[in-house]
Amino acid sequence: MKKSTTDNKDKRFELLRDLLLTEDREKFDSLRKEFILNEKLQEKVSPFVDEKILDLRENFPKYFGDKVTDAIKIQIRESQDEVVEALYPIMGKMVKKFIVAEITKLSDSINKTIKEKFSVQEILKRFFKGKRNDAGAVLEEVFEFVIEEVFVIEKESGLLSGSYSRGSNVDKDMVSGMLTAIKSFAEDAFSKEGQDLENIKFETFQLSIRNFKTIYIAIATTGVLTQEIKEKLSDDISNLAEIILRDRTYLSEEYRLNEIIIRELIES
Amino acid sequence: MNLKNQLELMIAKKVLLVGNFGVGKTSLIRRFVLNEFSEDYISTIGVRVSKKVVTYKNEAIKLMIWDVAGTNADEKIPKAYFLGASAAMFVFDVSREETYVTLEDNLKMVKELSGLEKITIVGNKKDLLSKEELEVVVDKVSLQIDLLTSAKEDENVEDAFMELTAQTLK
Ligand SMILES: Nc1nc2c(ncn2[C@@H]2O[C@H](COP(=O)(O)OP(=O)(O)O)[C@@H](O)[C@H]2O)c(=O)[nH]1
Ligand SMILES: [Mg+2]
Repeated sequence: MKKSTTDNKDKRFELLRDLLLTEDREKFDSLRKEFILNEKLQEKVSPFVDEKILDLRENFPKYFGDKVTDAIKIQIRESQDEVVEALYPIMGKMVKKFIVAEITKLSDSINKTIKEKFSVQEILKRFFKGKRNDAGAVLEEVFEFVIEEVFVIEKESGLLSGSYSRGSNVDKDMVSGMLTAIKSFAEDAFSKEGQDLENIKFETFQLSIRNFKTIYIAIATTGVLTQEIKEKLSDDISNLAEIILRDRTYLSEEYRLNEIIIRELIES
Repeated sequence: MNLKNQLELMIAKKVLLVGNFGVGKTSLIRRFVLNEFSEDYISTIGVRVSKKVVTYKNEAIKLMIWDVAGTNADEKIPKAYFLGASAAMFVFDVSREETYVTLEDNLKMVKELSGLEKITIVGNKKDLLSKEELEVVVDKVSLQIDLLTSAKEDENVEDAFMELTAQTLK
């Protein structure tokens, strides 16, 4: 019988909890909280994405189609402006849809790996194979912090200057362009509402953006970002930016920049 | 230098398509990038970025094409969209006068926002007008039109983007 994913997830937590009952309990509790917090966040965002955005996407022609076609058919400028007015408020929501879609693409393959690692079978296999404290290793591996993608992007043009990828095969030029567009839009539209794009969380996937004067650096990570890792990453990013901005030839020589990214962020 | 490095050294340029709602910007890009045309209205919300590598004077150039939604007169388009562009195409619809009556003002605004000196001017949907009608439009438009195109019938689309590419190198 096939179990639902929620079932599996509950089981996974139970198993992990059992495994960790004697050791590392505090560590697990904090990780668990973090994980649950993530899920809560998702719960908050999900209805918005699912209902509003999907509804808008599905029913876009119904809601706005008439106005759009009217504007084209009747060719009256007034009604065109009206359409733009009508469209603008939903653009923000569409932007969120774009973010989700883009990040889903990036995170799909990554989440697959995590799900495999996090499967009941895998945990049991490890449990019976090794000693009891192997659970720590499982946990560490499951929640291990990994840099998945790095993009160094020219702020204005959105052109990609350099990148690193652990394995995904997304079109980095497109991601850079869209991310820049989304970023500009969000900064422009939501600046008053305090919505920035410095951190986008999606499932186990997190995208962090650091702005510099002429470039920005976007880093996609998975796993648990502890305070310690956070600080180190932040330092590493600053160092990388300093190197690049001191010698701007890096920005036009992608392979050299890619080497520096690996040296400063991945191997460090 | 190995092939990978050569590819990575390819010049990349941001180019921009602007113009009123429904003039055919998205259709032109679709035609140029995918060689497809659809009668359906493809609504562009916010911005869409497409990519195409073109060869110009024996040099490969990676074009990142930004498709800006809304009427160009709408100041709500984030100003940042115009920044960092190496060339821009202003598209109007030859069959709808309101898309080109304010051409001069609109161009001025695009020039100011983008910092570009020359904007490629394209009149699209030429398939909807007869030769005589097109001449009337060309006369009416106060500025020099660079190309008349049809995304539907794939006329001059490639040339329009080549003109745009040429602009990026000036
Ligand atoms: N007849 C004709 N229709 C076109 C042409 N280009 C676009 N269209 C139609 O015009 C409408 C608006 O096109 P679209 O590309 O979405 O315009 P945009 O708002 O400027 O991006 C669509 O219904 C297209 O099918 C063309 O060259 N000829
Ligand atoms: Mg469009």
